[in-house]
Amino acid sequence: MTALEMHDVVVTHAGRRLVDVPHLRVGPDRPVTIVGESGSGKSLLAHALMGTLASTLEVDGKVDIGGRLLPLAERGNRRALWGSEVAMLPQEPALALDPTMRVGRQVAEGVLGATRETARTRAAAALASVGLPGASRTFPHTLSGGMAQRVAYAAATVGGARVLVVDEPSKGLDPASVDRLAELLLRHVVDGGLLLTITHDLRLAAALGGEVAVMRDAEVLESGEAAQVLERPRHDYTRRLVAAAPERWRHPWQRTGWETTAEPLVEATGLAKAYGSQQLFADLDVRVRPGERVALSGPSGVGKTTLGGALLRIVAPDAGRVVHHDSLRGRVQKLYQDPALSFPTLVPIEVGLRDVVKRHGADPRRLDQLVADLRLAPELLTRRPAEVSGGELQRVAIARMLLARPRLVLADEATSRLDLLTQETTIDALVRGLDDDAALLVVTHDSALADAVADTHLHLSGGDGQDAT
Amino acid sequence: MSATPTPAVLPDVTVADSRRGGPGRILAIVVLGALAAFALVGPLVLADPGAQDLGRYLEAPSLAEPLGRDEYGRSVLARLAHATRLSLLLGLVCVATALVLGTASGVLAAWRGSWIDAVLRAVSEAFVAIPALLVVLLFSALSESGSLLTLYVGLALVQWVEYFRVVRARAALVLGSPAVEAARLLGLGWVHVVARHLWPAVRPLLLTLASLGMVTSILAMSTLGFVKVGLQPPRAELGLMVTEAFPFHDVAPWLSLAPVAVLFLLTAGFLGLRHKEVTP
Amino acid sequence: MGLVSGASTSRLGAVLLRRGAQGIGVAVLVATLCFLVVRQLPGDAALRIAAGRYGYDLVDAEAAAAVRSELGLDRPAWQQLADWLAALVRGDLGTSLVTSAPVREEVGYYLLGTLQLAGLALLLAVALGGVLGTLAARRPDGLVDRAVDTWVAGVRALPPFLLGLALVLLFSVHLGWLPTVGHGSSTTIVLPAATIAIGLSGLFARVTRDAVVEVQRSEHVRFARTKGLSDRVVLVRHVLRNAGVVLVPYVGVQAVVLVEGVVVVESLFGWQGLGHALVHAVFWRDVPVLQAAALVLALLVVAVNTLVDLVVLWLDPRPRGVAVGA
Repeated sequence: MTALEMHDVVVTHAGRRLVDVPHLRVGPDRPVTIVGESGSGKSLLAHALMGTLASTLEVDGKVDIGGRLLPLAERGNRRALWGSEVAMLPQEPALALDPTMRVGRQVAEGVLGATRETARTRAAAALASVGLPGASRTFPHTLSGGMAQRVAYAAATVGGARVLVVDEPSKGLDPASVDRLAELLLRHVVDGGLLLTITHDLRLAAALGGEVAVMRDAEVLESGEAAQVLERPRHDYTRRLVAAAPERWRHPWQRTGWETTAEPLVEATGLAKAYGSQQLFADLDVRVRPGERVALSGPSGVGKTTLGGALLRIVAPDAGRVVHHDSLRGRVQKLYQDPALSFPTLVPIEVGLRDVVKRHGADPRRLDQLVADLRLAPELLTRRPAEVSGGELQRVAIARMLLARPRLVLADEATSRLDLLTQETTIDALVRGLDDDAALLVVTHDSALADAVADTHLHLSGGDGQDAT
Repeated sequence: MSATPTPAVLPDVTVADSRRGGPGRILAIVVLGALAAFALVGPLVLADPGAQDLGRYLEAPSLAEPLGRDEYGRSVLARLAHATRLSLLLGLVCVATALVLGTASGVLAAWRGSWIDAVLRAVSEAFVAIPALLVVLLFSALSESGSLLTLYVGLALVQWVEYFRVVRARAALVLGSPAVEAARLLGLGWVHVVARHLWPAVRPLLLTLASLGMVTSILAMSTLGFVKVGLQPPRAELGLMVTEAFPFHDVAPWLSLAPVAVLFLLTAGFLGLRHKEVTP
Repeated sequence: MGLVSGASTSRLGAVLLRRGAQGIGVAVLVATLCFLVVRQLPGDAALRIAAGRYGYDLVDAEAAAAVRSELGLDRPAWQQLADWLAALVRGDLGTSLVTSAPVREEVGYYLLGTLQLAGLALLLAVALGGVLGTLAARRPDGLVDRAVDTWVAGVRALPPFLLGLALVLLFSVHLGWLPTVGHGSSTTIVLPAATIAIGLSGLFARVTRDAVVEVQRSEHVRFARTKGLSDRVVLVRHVLRNAGVVLVPYVGVQAVVLVEGVVVVESLFGWQGLGHALVHAVFWRDVPVLQAAALVLALLVVAVNTLVDLVVLWLDPRPRGVAVGA
């Protein structure tokens, strides 16, 4: 059983180095996980290995795969290995399955050069082995994110590929699904396969074990045993990265055992909401007091956002009522998961901000102050929302919201698209920017984030079993 | 929607979309400008388009008469100028009417929703399945000699539904977006919503629809003239001119070529004006 | 699995319900428009109808009066509208004022001609546009793509009647390969069908190109490739079907253009179809034929769209809102 080795990998675009990795080795029994922020070049490395880089990028280097030494610059030379020798588990499994084809066929066509009957049998076996024995005749749109992930795994590996490349597999998965995913990937290693995983999720990296390499600005900063890199990082950047995980946050505003007896801002009684035949929640009572931070958590699709909307009175519940304290009038705000969608897309950011300043009679210097506090470059505001990065735009959204001096804020997965470091600065900016008596509702599927921020937890688990602590 | 696929792995998305702007659009504006100038100035300085001179039957083009004369000895250039003016004016009036009606009803339906939306949508469902030519044909049956008024009413009646459907769909999307929800939470009024959200999103669509509408109107009018149920001779109209010239296509090709060329340039010009194909 | 088939049955029901309602709406709208047309017929229309029936030499005031009372123009408006709608529901379309034949038979005959022409034209257009679009999509911005783009722009700017004239001049007058006018023999359909098909093919080529390019960039096509499938298998199994989900509704959008093309081209080539009948009926003020032809043509658009919806239903298992289409 030979290892996979990459030598002198350099990816450039218009003279700029995007990847520069002299050596990378993936051995049997030793999976490799590459972690880093978006833009660090980690995904490009995976695509350079697969031969799927865009033609506008130049790539140089060699890969030693199954005893063959292949130059990376010739993209076509790995095509013949796809499916049989190298396989790739795609980023967004829900998008990677053909929506018009039944799941069984999509897995079966991964069996190359076999009769239709053999292919079908092996596909059924592969689906059964990932715990979806009856899924063969279903269409992808009926699957949950975690199920689609497992189908994609079956389809990618059914061809018998020894090398499995996995690119950001945990996007949008709740912790339980991430654990199941790690289990699945490790099974490939146990079966003698080689595993290369690209992720920004340190928990997934820890669960996979083996070797962890940290990438930043095209280069590998440090690599080594997973436990060593993640527990006792040597490089300063890795240290910051590891410390940015919510469970390790140490901010002055974090607190335990906080309580208040102030009159509640929001008083919801008997809330119920269903989508179609699915009951999201029923007979739910929620109370939010001034200064309180409440986490609404639970797996995806369970109705967290809907509940948050109901508490803000922008979503009408099927039953029950939500009473707002008088002081909330016109002072309820929301932060969105995709900040780009919460700005008028076709006008420069500052045009929209000026409307807010004018409407709320805010001091224009207050905007400048907020921009400085949130460490935003003032010239960003002359651009359109699509021309600004997600992390920056989320901070602009916070600035915009603070101009209105809110007393109740719903942050709906507001940092789920940001990398760890940006997530920490954004949440810090948000909490510190709020007035002391303002309440914060945080919708998140990340329980560590919920623990770090909130005083009160409201966990939705689907069906009607929700519990508040 | 994929979150943010590594941009470097996804090339040429913008290249493909941007290639239909630029020089083509400038050329279209120049062509249309020239035709509009011809249509506006021509009728003022050129001879009477109805003046017959049978002695100059099918006279070939010359310096004084660049497009020659037709089978009644009428100046082809003068007739062409009048026909172009007619096409452009009728198109303009039809498009303006349909645009105002359709946009207003579309925004109304998206904004107010409920029964207003339901009623307007049901009406538009019926209208959208009816070919414009059919309605105009029916309307032209109303009047003996194919009056301009019936053409106008027919065309405007058929076209408003395009604007309604496109504007309603886009406006519903914009008004239901997080951006507008955020604007409402921020207490920004409807002026902000219209000026910053709705209008910027709808404006390019309207431009595209209006240029397509001009093409539809001009072609419908000339097509009706061509099948002899539209405007009647001796009016100078592009479709009629093509029909009347057809018997002489081998002895006097300039007769047919002139209106065909104007028609082609008009449609090509308006098609070139659009930003992109809109599939409602 | 019972759940899946149950869902698809209800989707089928929803499509049929929606299109059925649209058909009724269209019928009422066209019927009302027709009615208005009849109401507003200018004074000498009766004379003209009589002339159509008896010839201009034999027509007199008496014949015109007879025609006027035959149309019932002297009765109250609502009564006439109700009568006309009631007759429509019974399937009674009246008799032609020109030929005195039952309109139902006449329209049935013309419908056959129109269906032949429209069917062939649509087939040619989809084949031509589909092939051109797929070829263009192989290399976005390549030579073929640019050539197809030019073709699309050129075809788009040519109204059907000019295109038809050009084809007649080229193939009949100059080359003498094909007959121009007439109906019946297999060669006479070539030019009219080609005229409509060429016009439509430009649009189909464009939409096919864009759809195929987009699908080829999609995650699932990339994944299919890395599963080890060949380009041809990926194209046939994944790309074309998904592009079809975008393309087929577009056929529905273009049904209106198709019908317009049919009307023009039939008149131009003297093809015995509904469009030809309609234009003649307008010219001769043959009201019953006019009404029936307009109605059937409009319903044809609804029928094409129903068909399109059903194909999309078969192509795409995902539940979704109202499908795109006319």
